[in-house]
Amino acid sequence: MDEKLKELEKQYNEVSIPKELDFVVENALKQGKKKRKKRAPQWLLGSAAAAMLFTAGLNVSPAMARTLSDIPVVGSVVKVLTWTEYEVKEETYDADIKVPSIENLENKDLANALNEKYRSEGKALYNDFVAEVGDLKANGGGHLGVDSGYDVKTDNDQILSIGRYTVNTVGSSSTTMHYDTIDKQNEILITLPMLFKDNSYMKTISENIIEQMRKQAASDSDKVYWVKGGGLPDKEVIDGFTAINAEQQFYISDKGKLVISFDKYEVAPGYMGVLEFEIPTDVLKNDLVSSNYIH
Amino acid sequence: MKTRNAFQHEEIFVQLIREQKERFYLLAYSYTKNEQDALDVVQDSIQKAMLSLDRLENVEYMKSWFYKIVVRTSIDFLRKHKRLQVTDDDTLQFLTPAQEDVYENVDLEHALDDLPLMYREVVILHYFEDLKLADVANILNIKLSTAKSRLYKALKLLKIQLEDVKGETAHG
Repeated sequence: MDEKLKELEKQYNEVSIPKELDFVVENALKQGKKKRKKRAPQWLLGSAAAAMLFTAGLNVSPAMARTLSDIPVVGSVVKVLTWTEYEVKEETYDADIKVPSIENLENKDLANALNEKYRSEGKALYNDFVAEVGDLKANGGGHLGVDSGYDVKTDNDQILSIGRYTVNTVGSSSTTMHYDTIDKQNEILITLPMLFKDNSYMKTISENIIEQMRKQAASDSDKVYWVKGGGLPDKEVIDGFTAINAEQQFYISDKGKLVISFDKYEVAPGYMGVLEFEIPTDVLKNDLVSSNYIH
Repeated sequence: MKTRNAFQHEEIFVQLIREQKERFYLLAYSYTKNEQDALDVVQDSIQKAMLSLDRLENVEYMKSWFYKIVVRTSIDFLRKHKRLQVTDDDTLQFLTPAQEDVYENVDLEHALDDLPLMYREVVILHYFEDLKLADVANILNIKLSTAKSRLYKALKLLKIQLEDVKGETAHG
């Protein structure tokens, strides 16, 4: 009997091991580590489990990721996927952080740089949240929420603009936006300064925005901006908006217009929310390097 | 403290998987009988395990804990892909008699495959993976007494089969 068992064992062990095993195992370990890092500690786990599994599915199962990536989320070539989602749902603590990932860029350096940035920022946001919740719990509890995700603002043959938003809720909420705009044909990241011949664009754009603010405030008494003539008595405008930053958040709209974005509270009271101003191309034409992107 | 444990667990886990991956593959293969499916099971098992690594209280149980995950993932897989099993071994044997002659020791080989799953897995885990019967019972989620009786039954079945084979060979 013993010999028979040995023979059976030999057969069992003789099943050939596919050479892909190493790859599959290492890949699964790598993915698993990634998932573990983003995993909420036990005490934070609640109804988030299902969402986690879904995300795990996306990252883990090549089939599922493929299926999802085949859905034309954006255009045909360069795609944006949700790489990871951090989710925490507890009575008074809420986090939903979606981390995008840009896929299929030929320019790997650019793709890696952006994706690394998205991932590390997403992770930092989550870690901060967990730390804050820990503090709050230690100090008798409270409310805390963070909601972060992304919008594809523009996706045409030439331009991919992704806006990532983060809404922090502690009593009232604050919202910040970060945009990345990519020239899909040349696979480069477009920055605001590179669109213009020199720094005078800051003045041009700022003046136009102030003008738009005043017009809006004059025609609609609900609209208030922190500029003179922006809906408040002049003497109440302290530290108002005077000019955009050189690296002000912006994107390029589908029609090739430059859109400048301001975070909540940046240029107006909180109820005005995140603000966007489309700058007429006519105003910019003398400053633009070319009409390639903005037209 | 908890996090530190988790990280230690992770290190040990990664080491365990790297060292024993072929064993886990073979176990998965004993269920799926198919290379690609066995690879899928191994991959899914690693993922599942890593997600619940924090819940493992004692590192000493890691190996049998992971066996359990592989077994469950395999069985889940079989359930989901029942259509792949529509042809049972008997039918297959009946339909493909000529091929049997190609292999040496073919009957011995079939001896294990012919064993119903519930007996086969006990034999594999206990004899080929060298696990204690108590661990086998835990992995398969059955009572120790059940594991024991299945093992005896399995041996009995194998013995009968093997003796038959022997008898045939003698005659031949």
